[in-house]
Amino acid sequence: MLRNISVQKAMQQRHAEFVSAVSHEMKTPLAGIKAYVELLVDGEAEDAETQEEFLDVINGQADRLQRLIDNLLNIARIEAGVVQVDKQAQSLNELLEEAFSVVQPSAETKNIKLERDLSPMYLGVLVDRDMLMQSAINLLSNAIKYTPDGGTVTLRSRTDGEGVMFEVQDTGVGLDQEDSEKVFQKFYRVKKDKNMAAGTGLGLPVAKHITEDVHGGALRVKSEPGKGSTFQISLPLASELS
Amino acid sequence: MIKSVLLCDDEMHILRAAEFKLKRAGFDVTCTGDGEEAWESIREKKPHILVADYQMPRLDGMGLVARIREHDEFADLPVIMLTAKGFELAQRDDADRYNILAILAKPFSPRELLHCVQQVIETGSLDRPPALL
Repeated sequence: MLRNISVQKAMQQRHAEFVSAVSHEMKTPLAGIKAYVELLVDGEAEDAETQEEFLDVINGQADRLQRLIDNLLNIARIEAGVVQVDKQAQSLNELLEEAFSVVQPSAETKNIKLERDLSPMYLGVLVDRDMLMQSAINLLSNAIKYTPDGGTVTLRSRTDGEGVMFEVQDTGVGLDQEDSEKVFQKFYRVKKDKNMAAGTGLGLPVAKHITEDVHGGALRVKSEPGKGSTFQISLPLASELS
Repeated sequence: MIKSVLLCDDEMHILRAAEFKLKRAGFDVTCTGDGEEAWESIREKKPHILVADYQMPRLDGMGLVARIREHDEFADLPVIMLTAKGFELAQRDDADRYNILAILAKPFSPRELLHCVQQVIETGSLDRPPALL
């Protein structure tokens, strides 16, 4: 009985922390949108260049909000067991190029060197484009978030035995053994990183689900405190699946 | 005399919006990205007012204000805090203890921030309760 109460309290606490984190994550881009809209309404941006700059910020922050909502919806769908999947044969590198360009502005803001080391070979995969793109963006965003200013994040793709793989390597704070094991758990947030960046603890669980449950691949992490982390996604080749 | 404002937030777009509004109103604005950077700037530039975010890497807003208040030289530095976090009771107590003049909830209005900064610079206080959440 006592154990049940303490488990229930822990769940309530985790839920409250989750709601608080989600609300923080939503308010931050919303703050940007509202502030720049107000500046435009007040006529503060007098020249076309400044107006364009402000509109770009509004657009970028709206995209950020969209990504958060996508993550939340995916988690909800996962829990409800209703995930719609639309797999098509496509180029992994093309998909990664697109994910790369999505996160480039946030890397520039943090003065992170974002590098590409994509295989020169055509890596054909049979995947749900939007879902796998979200996995790649989640891994890249995480790496950028937890890498100190001036660090490097590398996106790499290769053939991998019978399949293909892509990985995101960073020069960030790294994870100890316990965190490496728990980091894919829903809502888990590495304690020492909590003050480093705001997060919902959803990005990695979503990426793992998309990779493993939807595409039959694997998402693994190799990491050491102080020496950065590498998150690697392995996928079967499209030809292997057809 | 041009009055100086130190802004501290780890979100570049928030810094830029606040900087833009305050600069156009005639303030000398310095931007910093976390509490440690802000502390260095406070010691070097001795601003007339600090506007700091609550949640930041390295040193958060409340930690920054606690450090500021430990130094007599900056004991009276007016502080306005921005936050996207709902403040809990202990944090509200901290806000009182460290004499934070206003806590503006994000999403915030640059217009409202400017009004607060102008009022603090002109009168040394604000005619509103510190916690606005």
